[in-house]
Amino acid sequence: MKKILAITLSILMLFTITACGNGGSGSTNVGSADISADNTVTPPPDSDGAELSGTIVVWCWDPTYNIFAMDEAAKIYREINPNFDIEVVDMPMDEIQTTLITTAASGTLNNLPDIFLLPDYAFQKNVIQFPEMFFDITDSGIPFHEFASSAVANSVVDGRNYGVSFGAGTTIFAVRTDYLTEAGFTVDDFTDITWGQFIELGKVVLEKTGRPMISTSSGGDFISFMLQSAGASLFHADGTPNIANNSTLHDAINTYLELINTGVLLQVNNWDEYTTSFISGAVTGTISGCWIIGSMQTAQDQSGNWAVTNMPRLDIPGGTNYSNFGGSSWAISSNSENAALAIDFLKHTFAGSVEFYENILESSGALPTWLPAGTSNIYMEPQPFFGGQAIFTDIVGYTEHIPAIITGEFWSEVSVAVTNAVVNILGGADITVALQEAEDTVIFQMGR
Amino acid sequence: MYAFLSVASFLSVFPLYWTVVSATNSSSDIIKGSLLAGTHLFQNFYHLLELYNLSTALMNSTLNAVVLTVASVIICAMAGYGFEAFHSKAKDKLMSILLLSMMIPFAAVMIPLFQLTANMGLLNTTIGFILPSLSTAFLILLFRQSTRSFPYEMIDSARIDGLNEISIFFRIFMPTMKSTFAAATVITFMSAWNSYLWPSIVFRGDPSAFTMPMLIARTIAGNVTDHGVVMLAALIATIPTIIIFFFLQKYFVEGIAGSIK
Repeated sequence: MKKILAITLSILMLFTITACGNGGSGSTNVGSADISADNTVTPPPDSDGAELSGTIVVWCWDPTYNIFAMDEAAKIYREINPNFDIEVVDMPMDEIQTTLITTAASGTLNNLPDIFLLPDYAFQKNVIQFPEMFFDITDSGIPFHEFASSAVANSVVDGRNYGVSFGAGTTIFAVRTDYLTEAGFTVDDFTDITWGQFIELGKVVLEKTGRPMISTSSGGDFISFMLQSAGASLFHADGTPNIANNSTLHDAINTYLELINTGVLLQVNNWDEYTTSFISGAVTGTISGCWIIGSMQTAQDQSGNWAVTNMPRLDIPGGTNYSNFGGSSWAISSNSENAALAIDFLKHTFAGSVEFYENILESSGALPTWLPAGTSNIYMEPQPFFGGQAIFTDIVGYTEHIPAIITGEFWSEVSVAVTNAVVNILGGADITVALQEAEDTVIFQMGR
Repeated sequence: MYAFLSVASFLSVFPLYWTVVSATNSSSDIIKGSLLAGTHLFQNFYHLLELYNLSTALMNSTLNAVVLTVASVIICAMAGYGFEAFHSKAKDKLMSILLLSMMIPFAAVMIPLFQLTANMGLLNTTIGFILPSLSTAFLILLFRQSTRSFPYEMIDSARIDGLNEISIFFRIFMPTMKSTFAAATVITFMSAWNSYLWPSIVFRGDPSAFTMPMLIARTIAGNVTDHGVVMLAALIATIPTIIIFFFLQKYFVEGIAGSIK
């Protein structure tokens, strides 16, 4: 009896342990998903969607922004196609990314949704690493030329489109007008200027009000959107990193150092401290993606004291006052049985309905990268929180001018390496040496 | 000494105090650093219920944690008891191999585990959630070490009285080792309740299966974070583990120390 119990317990244990560890031999032909090797097949375009029917499953995050937009899009599309239904699942960006990794590695694609959202900085990386998951929508009839070119570029790989852009990350300089008035300036003084001019004005504001102009918790992000404003990327066109000898990067880092050394830019430790700094009035304003206005609008007691203008530019050839920070795009799963319906849905809403963008503006503050939406009268309405400024028209106007750049497969790795280099440079390291180290690190991570 | 302990106590308790106070404040008040109770508790609660399915998350977390805790504690207790009560050199070697599994990080087994679960058709099921954690080397070790201090005379006299081995385990061993069982219950329940990565993979795409840690992850996923809602969700998620811990605190300390009744 003793032996039987012991053997039973041991077998039970062995079973559970092997169950945990088994399958490590790699992904084989498992799962019921029959993924076509040719995921570039384009579904038949449907002009009015009347013949298409089914339920679209969507994975995205943020109930007040992306999920809200999806639900509103569904309402618009149902008017065209009553046979359409939608199930929107709230999944944080990190969970979607983890799911894509586990799904790709295990080869079990049959649990993917029809549509999923990815942040723009990670879109190309995912398409390059998991091409079997993405539907090629280049020839689907979606009017990509009507979107801001910088936004479309984020989801293009080898000249093929894999995503429909949503949610502009157009960079803005949002600033407290009451503090500027205290220092003797207006917003116009900060419009269409260079970083050099910004620093000089910032020194005066700091002296008169005691407040730095702006703050950041991530030097890497800050330098990234400085670079994009000049149309510069951290990659060459062939995908190799462009760090050590990138003259624009040198200019951006030197500008960043000057911002810190003059006290015009306040460095903080994390995102919460960053939002706190401008909401609490510790700094005069902030430079970030336009979605940041949602954070400042939580402080309704500051209504009327904010204004928006464009960001400063690098004083080099090709430098502009426009850049991008954030934004995301909808992808269609290659495994979707409703791919044609999903495409038709996106075509008639996110890529085709001014009414849709009007409906989501007030509640979510989501701004379009689909440029025809910017012609709506609603965007021209003055915003009381921003002192009556028609900020949405202004921001959509900025969006058109953002230079497109290559983000590539290893954007996250490069971004981390540059952030570390900036920290080292701030600690006294030589800029050339630090950037060469960053490039070597990335080349090692890329396995080249 | 008292000053040091006072500072240490303050540092330990302050985050909990801050969570409680913040749950009653608006997001902008929290950002401005308010450390006193506010008046936004009901508003935060309303937003939490409006945006997320709190009751479903609580029920799922409770179901998953209770099922996993009961099953895991019984299985690991039987295994630990078996390793010690029916001791042999071969089993010692097996135990050593088992302990090696403690050194494998979850990330290393995550993908094969997902593949296995998907192939078994257990995605989006409670069984799919509990199966990988059903037996843990740590719990088996805890029971094995505790069994060493168990008086074997009791087993012998039970056998003389005619009890079979299964009955000895349930009727003699379990009541005697209740401190160890309490410690194992607290550890497993807290681990199951706070588990995030595996549930987020195994319950993917099924809103009706979301758990509390998954709900909290959703409250901080947007462009704008409502800190009041986040803190309230965190506070609600903390309450069950606090209750379990205080309820079993006395036994927990004894169980970790390895004492028997």
